[in-house]
Amino acid sequence: MLDFFTIFSKGGLVLWCFQGVSDSCTGPVNALIRSVLLQERGGNNSFTHEALTLKYKLDNQFELVFVVGFQKILTLTYVDKLIDDVHRLFRDKYRTEIQQQSALSLLNGTFDFQNDFLRLLREAEESSKIRAPTTMKKFEDSEKAKKPVRSMIETRGEKPKEKAKNSKKTKGAKKEGSDGPLAIGKAVSAEKSGLSVGPENAVELSKEELIRRKREEFIQKHGRGMEKSKSVKADAPKEKGKKAPRVWALGGCANKEVLDYSTPTTNGAPEVAPPEDINLIRGTGPGGQLQDLDCSSSDDEGVTQNSTKPSATKGTLGGMFGMLKGLVGSKSLSREDMESVLDKMRDHLIAKNVAADIAVQLCESVASKLEGKVMGTFSTVTSTVKQALQESLVQILQPQRRVDMLRDIMDAQRHQRPYVVTFCGVNGVGKSTNLAKISFWLLENGFSVLIAACDTFRAGAVEQLRTHTRRLSALHPPENHGGRTMVYLFEKGYGKDAAGIAMEAIAFARNQGFDVVLVDTAGRMQDNAPLMTALAKLITVNTPDLVLFVGEALVGNEAVDQLVKFNRALADHSMAQTPRLIDGIVLTKFDTIDDKVGAAISMTYITSKPIVFVGTGQTYCDLRSLNAKAVVAALMKA
Amino acid sequence: MASVDSRRVGNGGGVGGTFQPYLDSLRQELQQRDPTLLSVVVALLAVLLTLVFCKFIRSRRSSQRAVLLVGLCDSGKTLLFVRLLTGLYRDTQTSITDSSAVYKVNNTRGTSLTLIDLPGHESLRLQFLERFKASARAVVFVVDSAAFQREVKDVAEFLYQVLIDSMGLKNTPSFLIACNKQDITMAKSAKLIQQQLEKELNTLRVTRSAAPSTLDSSSAAPAQLGKKGKEFEFSQLPLKVEFLECSAKGGRGDAGSADIQDLEKWLAKIA
Repeated sequence: MLDFFTIFSKGGLVLWCFQGVSDSCTGPVNALIRSVLLQERGGNNSFTHEALTLKYKLDNQFELVFVVGFQKILTLTYVDKLIDDVHRLFRDKYRTEIQQQSALSLLNGTFDFQNDFLRLLREAEESSKIRAPTTMKKFEDSEKAKKPVRSMIETRGEKPKEKAKNSKKTKGAKKEGSDGPLAIGKAVSAEKSGLSVGPENAVELSKEELIRRKREEFIQKHGRGMEKSKSVKADAPKEKGKKAPRVWALGGCANKEVLDYSTPTTNGAPEVAPPEDINLIRGTGPGGQLQDLDCSSSDDEGVTQNSTKPSATKGTLGGMFGMLKGLVGSKSLSREDMESVLDKMRDHLIAKNVAADIAVQLCESVASKLEGKVMGTFSTVTSTVKQALQESLVQILQPQRRVDMLRDIMDAQRHQRPYVVTFCGVNGVGKSTNLAKISFWLLENGFSVLIAACDTFRAGAVEQLRTHTRRLSALHPPENHGGRTMVYLFEKGYGKDAAGIAMEAIAFARNQGFDVVLVDTAGRMQDNAPLMTALAKLITVNTPDLVLFVGEALVGNEAVDQLVKFNRALADHSMAQTPRLIDGIVLTKFDTIDDKVGAAISMTYITSKPIVFVGTGQTYCDLRSLNAKAVVAALMKA
Repeated sequence: MASVDSRRVGNGGGVGGTFQPYLDSLRQELQQRDPTLLSVVVALLAVLLTLVFCKFIRSRRSSQRAVLLVGLCDSGKTLLFVRLLTGLYRDTQTSITDSSAVYKVNNTRGTSLTLIDLPGHESLRLQFLERFKASARAVVFVVDSAAFQREVKDVAEFLYQVLIDSMGLKNTPSFLIACNKQDITMAKSAKLIQQQLEKELNTLRVTRSAAPSTLDSSSAAPAQLGKKGKEFEFSQLPLKVEFLECSAKGGRGDAGSADIQDLEKWLAKIA
């Protein structure tokens, strides 16, 4: 039933492959690697690609990947177990070859695994078939047959002594089960009478009756509580002069004496002062001097540095040997070890403004990447996990495609057509401001810019762009560029259709020979369906070269929702085979966050598109490009 | 402080005026035949010295002996790696981590190099390059000659990055651009690829230097490739850049051997 099963090393060598069908397995597996493993979505271990479902397992100790592929429409239950069995058998059989550091052993080794694999496959298939349908229990075996018929009869009208009390009990219990706390009061009275009769009854205690009895006890406890509150309420109005402490109905017994944790004092000073621990107060740092703030040193790194400073370790030799023994031994990481560290990391990421689900998924993926890995000497769990998390964060922030707008504009120039950039985003993120900054940058590099005012809704939008145009053309007057207008505003006032204005603007630019067209759209909430349709129409009709989503760095969990809904709207309303989605992100208001830079991670993770520009202020020069390492450093800083 | 004293004791006195009380205490300890402090200090010194020595030796041995195989995704780096080491053909997938092995060069001296195959995927390539560039003696940039026309801009961008990084190193490595996949009929020749890359890098160095500066403006301005004002040529670089053609798959596919003699000769030359 399987389409294929491959075992390959993380370095790219296929060690063994089983192909059930004649199609090659490299395509789907490459897609798996690219979309799951490299984008840190490794928490969930299955992936669908066209008609196939791929399940995979990573062996982090020996750097192997096991992938199995089968048709999506089948639901094979034995696949997970099969992967685990194959993993174990392969690892044990070829332990010597895969243990080496050098790749030569992998290359020279022959992995003749076919027979073993077929055997395991056969076993797995048989075990999934083997469970015979369970035969139904006969009536004689059931519990109902064991109970006397007498106990199950419920009669109405007839009231023999025992039967009545029994039935009252059952009725009361049933009522409280169905009505809940409302019937408690009634049930209390019923049960009280019922219970008093209870011990006298010589009824076999079946399971249901045991449950009923326990329920009665529970209700009794609560019933007493309710009566108590009633009595307190009755007392309260009498003692008007004295202010009584508030008593909560279901609050248990709030005894004042029990809750008073203060030590006995005379005049505010404690009677019996505990001996002060001078060392504890002073701590272990230098006394009077103020130390510099060093960012990355943590306790763990302090330990590893101790070994190279003989003067410092004079007093702590014994303790150090104990710690070293734990560090040096080759321990493989398990989920339990990593759990506390990962929880801390996840909270740290969330505190740094990374969206909550993304932080969870990231930590899951890091856990699956590190599970079973053997730690090197002098490394603790915390440092290994931190290192892995840092690497995966840098990996996420690296652009998946080329980010070079100027190069693409030069290409478009050669083809004699304008390069069209559209800015979209929710309200108030800085689209118009950053559009002005980007046009300034383009002008400085010698390209002529046409600004299309497709925000026909917001009051003052066109005037804002007109002011920017005036200032920019003052900086770059036509005289400096050989009589050519470098920046021009194309606007048709308010209330018109944005897509139509954009189309006219692009035609105008082509006629007049402008290099770049920057299209400013109105801000819109991602939930607003008609506006999202309008935006999708603008993009579909005009096919811009670059669709930039402008998002502010202050946004938290909202970023996920915004991007997902924008992308979905663009995909739904597009007629083409491959719809135009968001191509890049502009992260604005970056100067307002100190080091809570998590929004960058959330946005790139959701779309896997690069951050093209970063806006760091409101003047024309405040435009930057992203530096992945600096952002990750700020993110991992304690 | 006590270590200083022990050395002074070994040297036989000297300016011990200020350290007199410590010398006395040390002498007392020695006389009592209980030199715990001294022995501990000597032991730690020995450990420290061995650690430093080992690190020194290891760094010397491993530095400057690595040959990096870099390039875009699907350019054939891993297969080239396999062919160089064993001469066999193996199926490969997209690499996620690096692979390294020792390669014996076939020249008279029989020197050995460490071949390191780095992943080409966009999210990983720069990270791994960072890690290994310090120990690089040579860099082999593998180009897919058949898909070159489509990927020119991506190839040029990565090549630009690698060149800038290599120029920033203390001892610049030798550079080779291997035009792989020559067995495909539509593959471009090395000459054509060189011309195209020069043209592309010419425009790229202008656009890259004009890009907005990065967030932490403490990073230095990007280095200039080649000479300003003149068209970019590989000969203008301080590195030695060569081009050659090869085919990792070989003329007859899996069965035959690969066409990598030129590559092996170049490796023998720079070893």
